[in-house]
Amino acid sequence: MLKKYNKAMLLTVAACLSVSSLVACSSKNTTTGGSTSPASTTAAVATTTGPKPELRSLQIWQQEDYNTYPVAKFLEQKTGYKVKYDMLPQDKPQDKMNILIASGEPYDVITSVGGTDFKALYADYAKKGALVDLGPLIDKFGPNIKSAVDPEALEAAKVDGKLYAIPTKSIPTTSSSLYIRQDWLDKVGMKTPTTLDELVAVLKAFKEKDPGGNADKNIPLTVRGDAPFIDNIVGAFGMPNFWNNVNGKLTPRIQDPAYKDYVNFAQDLFKQGLIDKEFAANKDATAKEKFTSGRAGIIMLNWSDVPVIIDALVKNVPTAKANYLPALKGKDGKIGLSANQGFDRISFIPKASKHPEDAIKWMNAKLEKDTFKGMAIGEENKHFTFKDGAYTPIQPIFTDERNRANNFLMGTDDKNYPTYWQARVRKDLRLFEAWKFMNVTEANVRVLDPLGFAPYLPEFSKNFQQLNVMVGDYTTKLLFGAEPLSGLDAFIAKYKSSGGDASVKEVNDWYATAKK
Amino acid sequence: MHKKTLSDWSLDFCIYLVLLLCGLATLLPLANILSKAVSDESSVVSGKVGIFPVGFQLETMKYVVSSSQFLHSIGISLLITVVGTVLAILVTAITAYPLSKRHLPGISFIMLLFIFTMMFNGGIIPNYLLMKQLHLINSLWSLMLPALISVFNMLVIKSYYESLPEALEESAKMDGARNFTILFRIILPLSVPVIATIALFYAVYFWNDYFHPMLYINDAGLKPLQLYLRDIVLNADSSNALNKSTDDLMNTSPEGVRSATVIASIIPMLLVYPYLQKHFVKGVLIGSVKG
Repeated sequence: MLKKYNKAMLLTVAACLSVSSLVACSSKNTTTGGSTSPASTTAAVATTTGPKPELRSLQIWQQEDYNTYPVAKFLEQKTGYKVKYDMLPQDKPQDKMNILIASGEPYDVITSVGGTDFKALYADYAKKGALVDLGPLIDKFGPNIKSAVDPEALEAAKVDGKLYAIPTKSIPTTSSSLYIRQDWLDKVGMKTPTTLDELVAVLKAFKEKDPGGNADKNIPLTVRGDAPFIDNIVGAFGMPNFWNNVNGKLTPRIQDPAYKDYVNFAQDLFKQGLIDKEFAANKDATAKEKFTSGRAGIIMLNWSDVPVIIDALVKNVPTAKANYLPALKGKDGKIGLSANQGFDRISFIPKASKHPEDAIKWMNAKLEKDTFKGMAIGEENKHFTFKDGAYTPIQPIFTDERNRANNFLMGTDDKNYPTYWQARVRKDLRLFEAWKFMNVTEANVRVLDPLGFAPYLPEFSKNFQQLNVMVGDYTTKLLFGAEPLSGLDAFIAKYKSSGGDASVKEVNDWYATAKK
Repeated sequence: MHKKTLSDWSLDFCIYLVLLLCGLATLLPLANILSKAVSDESSVVSGKVGIFPVGFQLETMKYVVSSSQFLHSIGISLLITVVGTVLAILVTAITAYPLSKRHLPGISFIMLLFIFTMMFNGGIIPNYLLMKQLHLINSLWSLMLPALISVFNMLVIKSYYESLPEALEESAKMDGARNFTILFRIILPLSVPVIATIALFYAVYFWNDYFHPMLYINDAGLKPLQLYLRDIVLNADSSNALNKSTDDLMNTSPEGVRSATVIASIIPMLLVYPYLQKHFVKGVLIGSVKG
């Protein structure tokens, strides 16, 4: 047995040992760091005259390996740069990106998605000096970047007036709306509803006249539990997006004067049994199951799911037909479908990059007109055909070789890309019809997300997710009657103090300057 | 043996019933996933697939199993598991041996150093930096080297060594054996039960490790199975539409493919486990009889 005194001494020795080993370790770090950096600078100098260096690019997750994907080979031929691609995991990519940036992993380009979370990370890196200022580099080596990328998008990607990233604009799309069983409508002898009142009448008919032959198991309208704001219906109350313009000020739904009206309306639907009784427990898959098994008349659905849903539906009910409802009009004529806009991807160059100039040259070369088109949708008559201004994919080679091409984009040819892009939707006619109905036929009622091109707003970014969940949960409870609407004021007070007020102020300060 | 009475029978019946229910409860989710993997996609989407497949087909399984990424990941996982386990057992057994000799000078101090690492470690970032300085990022060694010795496992082996009679070694020494001979020809063959148990611990650890590959491996060609699985299984849910671009939404993998991937990935373990477990159980039995 050791005496207490001995034990204490041993512990100190152990602690000293571990500390000294840490010190030894770090001193070794600095020496190796010192010896590699001159080598790398000489390499960088050599590249200006010698052959092009191999670049390292960090991308977001995709199912296939970037390095063996046909687009990679195409780009290597066209730009002359050999690129080694790595990818972030699908699960919590932010954490991994933070580690890679913090440890100074020498990537030449990092491409992340362009949503609020990542915009916030990007702005944070830029402010902490972890990124290369691209302005001077683009002036020198990036003529295509200047001419192809929408100047407004470049402006919106700036942090403190300096550009640190090449933004890839997303194609503005309305993705979700109400999808209705046309054959049910025909059976109950009604026309496609265009107003809220007509919608209620149709839902009642679906419930009472039993067009699906399910007796009292008919579900007139099914939605997911996490989507108490039913797309298209909220539009009729003037709140298609999370934030909407109310008398010139951007207002979150919960503080929108129309919120009460919407809740009353939806509550009423629920009480009458017109909304799925189990909607609060519905997951995405359960709502789809109810629709495809022939029990539900209307579902809130993304157009990207249409082919799978219609296949399953027709298999179960061979006579079934379904299509999207047009945008519904509210009492005072309000109407609207939410459409996202903003950045699909952002690509930036970390300070640790060994070849920032070549990275810009590479991105510039990718935006050369023909190269860009070839990267995005391939070669004419091999991957696609072009007729009457429309690009149609040739299958299966288009899917095999260009399906993931969107992940290789770093900035787009913003004048032409929306047209090229439609080739992707035309890979399935039903997909195209669904997309076209919401985004071309109904284009005039689309309401673009006003915050899409907002710069990094710290308060907003910090709180938006938590606040959205809070409002969503609360609204779900209101709809099925677990909370009385009389508690709304108390909830709003809680919302405001949980970051809601700060967000509203910050968003509107920006909005006031952006409108000018 | 007395004759079974009615109450004995009913007790037996209850025990069997409970065991049967427990067994079924663990089997059901597996059966559900298996059925989804071999049913056609329409039936899966409309929620018809429960325990039995509806619209049986093997195309999805074929697609998954023949996918080069999947085969690659399985290969990587097998490699890490086999090489890692063998090395880990070797290192752990060798480390435990001298530590089991109480007469060795400074032994308690060295033990303390080991135990210290059980309670404190550097954390994610220092570990990452260490791997980076050792140039092990994007190398499979980063998944094996840090795990070669688990102090807990080492202690288990050490205490087993200590239970062996010391006279055994003395007689070997008298016959002229030196330390290595004693360890490899006398001690280790006697330690098969504990070695088998620990080997299983290590193998399961290496096979299941998800976190470290996530940290250290960026190269898609080096991804072990767990990482690949996580990516595939997560790649769905249009309810997550806000965070996905339009193109991503069109490219989500169907439920059937995800189920098939999960099934295909457990097949190797299903093949190996019963075989391993037989040895494992036998090994423990020998140990307890001798104990």
